[in-house]
Amino acid sequence: MIAGPLRAARSWAALFRRFIIRRLAGERLRTAVTVLGIALGIAVVVAIQLTNASSVRGFEAAVESIAGRTSLEIASPGPGFDELLLNDLGWLRAYGSVSPVIEGDALAVTPDGARESVRVLGVDVLEDRSIRDYDLLDFASGDRQPRPQEFLELLVDPRTVIITGKFARRHELAVGSDIDITTGDTVARYRIRALLEDQGPARALDGNFVLMDIAAAQLAFQRLGRLDRVDVRLADGVSVDGAETAIRERLPEGLLVRRPDRRSQQVEKMLAAFHFNLTALSYIALLVGLFLVYNTVSISVIARREEIGTLRALGASRRAVLALFLAEAATLALAGCALGIVLGRLLAEGTVRITSTTVDTLYVATAAQPVPLGLRHILLAFGIGMPLALLSAAVPALEASRVAPNAAMRGSDRLELRFRLRVRTLALPPALFALGWWLSTLAPVGGYPVGGYAAALAIVLGAAFLVPGVLFAVCRAGERILARVFGIEGRLATANLGAAIPRISISVAALAVSLSMMVAIAVMIGSFRETVIHWIDQTLQADLFVRPATRTNIATESTLSPEVIAAASALDGVVAVETYRSFDIPYGDGTIILGSSDFRQEVVRRKLAFKSPPDGAAAFASARDGRGAVVSESFSIKFGCGVGDPVVLPTPRGERQFRIDGVFFDYSSDRGAVIIDRAAFNELFGVSAPTNLLVYLDEGVDPDVARQQLIDATGSSHRIFVYTNARIRAEVLRIFDSTFAITTALEIIAIFVAILGVASTLLTLVIERRRELAVLRLVGADRRQVRKMVVIEATVLGGVSQAIGIGVGLLLSLVLIFVINVQSFGWTIQFRLPVAFLLQSTALILVATALAGIYPARRACAIDAPEQTVEE
Amino acid sequence: MSVLCVDDVRKTFAGGEAPVEAVRGVSLGLEAGDFVALMGPSGCGKSTLLHLCGAMERPSSGRILVEGADVSTLDDDALTRLRRERIGFVFQFFNLLPTLTVLENAALPLSLAGHGLREAESRARALVARVGLEHRAGHYPQQLSGGEMQRASIARAVVHEPALLVADEPTGNLDSDNGARILELLAELNAGLGITIMLATHAIETATVAKRVVRMLDGRLADAT
Ligand SMILES: Nc1ncnc2c1ncn2[C@@H]1O[C@H](COP(=O)(O)OP(=O)(O)O)[C@@H](O)[C@H]1O
Ligand SMILES: [Mg+2]
Repeated sequence: MIAGPLRAARSWAALFRRFIIRRLAGERLRTAVTVLGIALGIAVVVAIQLTNASSVRGFEAAVESIAGRTSLEIASPGPGFDELLLNDLGWLRAYGSVSPVIEGDALAVTPDGARESVRVLGVDVLEDRSIRDYDLLDFASGDRQPRPQEFLELLVDPRTVIITGKFARRHELAVGSDIDITTGDTVARYRIRALLEDQGPARALDGNFVLMDIAAAQLAFQRLGRLDRVDVRLADGVSVDGAETAIRERLPEGLLVRRPDRRSQQVEKMLAAFHFNLTALSYIALLVGLFLVYNTVSISVIARREEIGTLRALGASRRAVLALFLAEAATLALAGCALGIVLGRLLAEGTVRITSTTVDTLYVATAAQPVPLGLRHILLAFGIGMPLALLSAAVPALEASRVAPNAAMRGSDRLELRFRLRVRTLALPPALFALGWWLSTLAPVGGYPVGGYAAALAIVLGAAFLVPGVLFAVCRAGERILARVFGIEGRLATANLGAAIPRISISVAALAVSLSMMVAIAVMIGSFRETVIHWIDQTLQADLFVRPATRTNIATESTLSPEVIAAASALDGVVAVETYRSFDIPYGDGTIILGSSDFRQEVVRRKLAFKSPPDGAAAFASARDGRGAVVSESFSIKFGCGVGDPVVLPTPRGERQFRIDGVFFDYSSDRGAVIIDRAAFNELFGVSAPTNLLVYLDEGVDPDVARQQLIDATGSSHRIFVYTNARIRAEVLRIFDSTFAITTALEIIAIFVAILGVASTLLTLVIERRRELAVLRLVGADRRQVRKMVVIEATVLGGVSQAIGIGVGLLLSLVLIFVINVQSFGWTIQFRLPVAFLLQSTALILVATALAGIYPARRACAIDAPEQTVEE
Repeated sequence: MSVLCVDDVRKTFAGGEAPVEAVRGVSLGLEAGDFVALMGPSGCGKSTLLHLCGAMERPSSGRILVEGADVSTLDDDALTRLRRERIGFVFQFFNLLPTLTVLENAALPLSLAGHGLREAESRARALVARVGLEHRAGHYPQQLSGGEMQRASIARAVVHEPALLVADEPTGNLDSDNGARILELLAELNAGLGITIMLATHAIETATVAKRVVRMLDGRLADAT
C-alpha cells in the first residue's frame, strides 16, 4: 500500500514539528548559540576560500586585461632581452600582429598628495592597437577616436603619459596636468596627454594603469635597448597550439614562447602551499560549530529522557526517534550554514585585507577584493556543514533511540554508573600515534604535505581515544588531592566526573583537540620566530640597506640608478658598497629567484648562513670559477638536490649547467633561490642595474646620520628606501608577525571552544544529575557548596583538556615543523619550547573554564529540590 | 520546647488552570521523642506537609517552627543550615548519590556541615554499623538491594543526630519483609536515640509502628489519635 509509508512520514513530520521544533523555539538562547557557532565555522571556511581565490584572481584579472588579445608572448628567462634580437624575428609577422612591450610597477604621486602604485605599460602604440583597445575619453569632443598618427603624436615626448579616466577622476587630474611617477628609484614629472576609457587594459587594477611610449618606458625603467617581451596576436584561423610549437622551434636560443595566462598559473602555484595551509586552518574553526551541535543534541536527549521513553511506549519506533534527533541537528545546521555563507562573505572582506598584506609581502601584488560568492561556495558550505553536523549528532541521537519505553516510568537506567576502563580504549592511542609517525615519514603528494596532515589527524584521533583513560587516572589520583585541597566539594566533584567519563569524554576530546591546535601553532610560530631572529643575526651584517621605493615585493623588477650607487659610495666613512641583483626566472613548472653578487666580497663578508658546507667562505671560493652556484635551503628541499649536484638554468644564451657549491638558510622566500657570481651573471644575462645595495660603514659612523646623508644626497629626484641595520631587523620581524597575525584568531577560537565546551558539558551534566543535586541540597549542601563543586568540575575539565592539549600540541608541532612546513616551504625551523606562552595559556584556560562553570553552577543551585526527590 | 510546631499552615501551588491547594490549614505539634505516622490516600497532601515540616519549602500561610525557628522567615541559606543540622530525610526512592559509597553517602551531611572527612567518616561508620551495613560500607548504592539502600539512606538521615527525621513513604518501594525491617529500624532509632520521627504513608500496616497516627484527607487533618 502506498498510503502506509506516506501516512507514517506525515505523522513523523507532525511529531518533528511538535516535539523538536517547538522545543528549539522555546530554548531560544541555546538554539541561537548553536546556530551562531555553526555559522562562524562555516563563515571562516567560506571566507578563506573566497580569500584564496581572490589573491590569485586579482593577479589573473590584471594579467588578462593587460594581455588584451595577446595569444602568445615571446620572452627571455631573465630581465628582458636585447631589442636587436627583434630584427631576427621578422618571420613572426607571418603568424599575426606583433608588439614589443616594457611593463613595470611604478609609484604615482599626484598633485593632491596621494601615492598609488600603478602598472606602467610601454608600447609602440601604432603596433599595439591591434592587440589592445585604447579608447580615449573626450578626444576631439568625443566625436571620434584618434587616427594612428595623432595617437603617436600624443606620446612623442618621452615625458608624456596617458592615464585612465578612473584614476584621473579619483585625483582630479585632467589632460595637461602633471604627475610625478617613480620608476625604479628615479622620480620624473610627466604630462598627461589623454585619458583612457574604462575598457581594455585601463580596466586593470582599478584604473591604476599608465600608458607610455615604449622608448619612454625603456628610459624610465633603465632598460635602454632592452625589451621585456613581445606580444603576439595570432591571425584569425591560426591555431594557438600549432603556432606555439612552430614558433618554439624557430626561436633563437635564450628566447621562449608562452601563453599570457601562464604567468597567473605560476602565481597560483606559488601561492598553492600557502593557500593549502590556510584552508587546513579554516577547517579547525568548524570544530566549534560541530561541538555545539553535539552538545545541543546531547542536552536535548538527556533532558527529555522520560519524554522519549513515553514516545517509545506510545509506539514511536527506534528509527523514528533517531530520525527526530538527527533532524534536529539538520535543522540547526541548515540555519547555521545559511547564516555562515552570509557571514563568510562579510568576513572575506576583512581576511582579504589581512592576507593580501601577507601575499603582497611574500609573493605578488594583488587586488584587495574578494571574488564574488558563487554556487560553488554555497555547495561547499552545505556539503561540509550538513554531513558533519549529522555526524556530530549521531552519538546522542543513537543514545536517544536506545531509550527504553519504560524509561518514562522508572528512573533507574540513568548513568552508566561505574566507568570501567577497557583494554581496547587503552590500546588504540599508541596504535594511532604509531600510525601518525609512519604517515609523517611519507613524501609529499603533488607538492602538498598530505602525509603530514594525515599524521596530524591520526595524532588528534589518538588523543581523542586517550581522553577516557586520562580522565580515569585524574579522577582516581585527584580524589584524595582535591578532597584535601577543596574539602567535600572537591571530593564530590571528582566522584561526579569519574562517573560521567563516558558522557564527558567527547567534550573533553574536542576541547583538547582545539587546545592542541593552539599549542601546536604557537610552538611552531615561536620556534620559527626564534629561528628567524637567529638567522637575521647571522646574515644581516651591513649597516645600510638600500632598495628602490617601487620595489614593494619580490616579483617586481625595480632597479637602482647609477646616481644612487654613486651617492652611496661617496658617503662619509663608507668601507664598502655591494650590489645585489635578483629577478625571477622560470624553473621546473614554476619560477625561482636568480640572484647575483660579487663572490669575492662574499668570501670576505659572509652575509649568508650556510647549512652545508658549514663554512660558507669555502662555498663562495669554489663557486667563483663561474660554474658554481649557491642555492637556498628551500630550493634544495623542493628540487631534492644538494652540494655537488648540478642545476640547469635557462639563460638568454640557452641552458647552462651550474654546480651546487653550497646550501644557505633563507627565510625571506619559500620559492627557492639560486645565486651565481656577478661575472658569470653579466656574461649570460648582460650587465644590468642592481636591485639592492648594501653599505658598510666605519666603526665610528652613526648609521642614522649616514642614512639621512644618503637620502639628502639623492634628493627629490630619487625615491629610495634606506634601512639601518636596526630598522631592517625590526622590519623583518614586523613582516613576520603580520604574516602570522591570522593565527592569533586560532587562539581566540580555542578559548571560545573551551568556554562554550565546558559550559555546555556541565550544563548537560547538571540537567542529567538534577535528582542527585536535589538530594545534595536536601541533606544540607548550601548554594555556595553546590556552586563550588560545579566550578571545581569545570576547572578540572579545563585543566585535563589543557594538559592533553599541551601533550598532543607538542606532538603536532613536531609534525608541523619537521614535516608540513618542510614539505610546503622547504624551511628548517629549530624547535623551541615557548614556556611563557604555555604557562600563560594554561592560566588563561583555567580561569576561563572556571568562569564557564558559573552558569551551570547557578542552574544547579536553582533546581527545585522537593519535586526532584519525590517524583520518579 | 516542642521539636515541631505547625500552626494553621496552608500551601497552594500555582497550577496550570486553577491553583492547587495541597495543604489547607493544618495544625500539629511534635514533642521530642515523638513518632507520628501521617496516613492518608495518595494525593491528600502528605508529601507536601512533610516537605514543609522538613524545611524544604515555605508555607503559603501559617507558621512552622522547628525547635522554635520559624521556617517561613528564614532565607535559603538559613533553611539549608537548618536542614543540615537539625533535620534528616528518608525518601521512597532512597535517593543515594550513585557516585559515592555507602559510607561516603552516610558521611555526607557531616562533611557538608564542615566536619573533617576523617571525623565524618568515623561517625558515619558507627551509624552504618548500627543499621547493619558494616560489610557493605565500601560498596556503591547500585550494588545493594532495595532494603539495604533504604538502610543506608536512614544512616545518612540520622548521622548528624537531627532533632527531626522526616520519612516519606520509606517502605513504598520495598517488599513487605524488607519494609517491616525498615520500620523496625526506625522504631529502634526512635526508642534508642530518641529521634523524633514524622512518617508519611498510605498503608495502615506501616502506620502501626508509630506511637501516634494522624489521618489526612484533602489537605486537612481528619482527626488526631
Ligand atoms: N510542586 C507541585 N506543584 C503543583 N502541585 C503539586 C505540587 N506538589 C504536589 N502538588 C499537588 O498537591 C496535591 C498533594 O500532593 P502530595 O503532597 O504529593 O500528596 P501525597 O504525598 O499525599 O500523595 C496533589 O494534588 C498534587 O498534585
Ligand atoms: Mg506522596
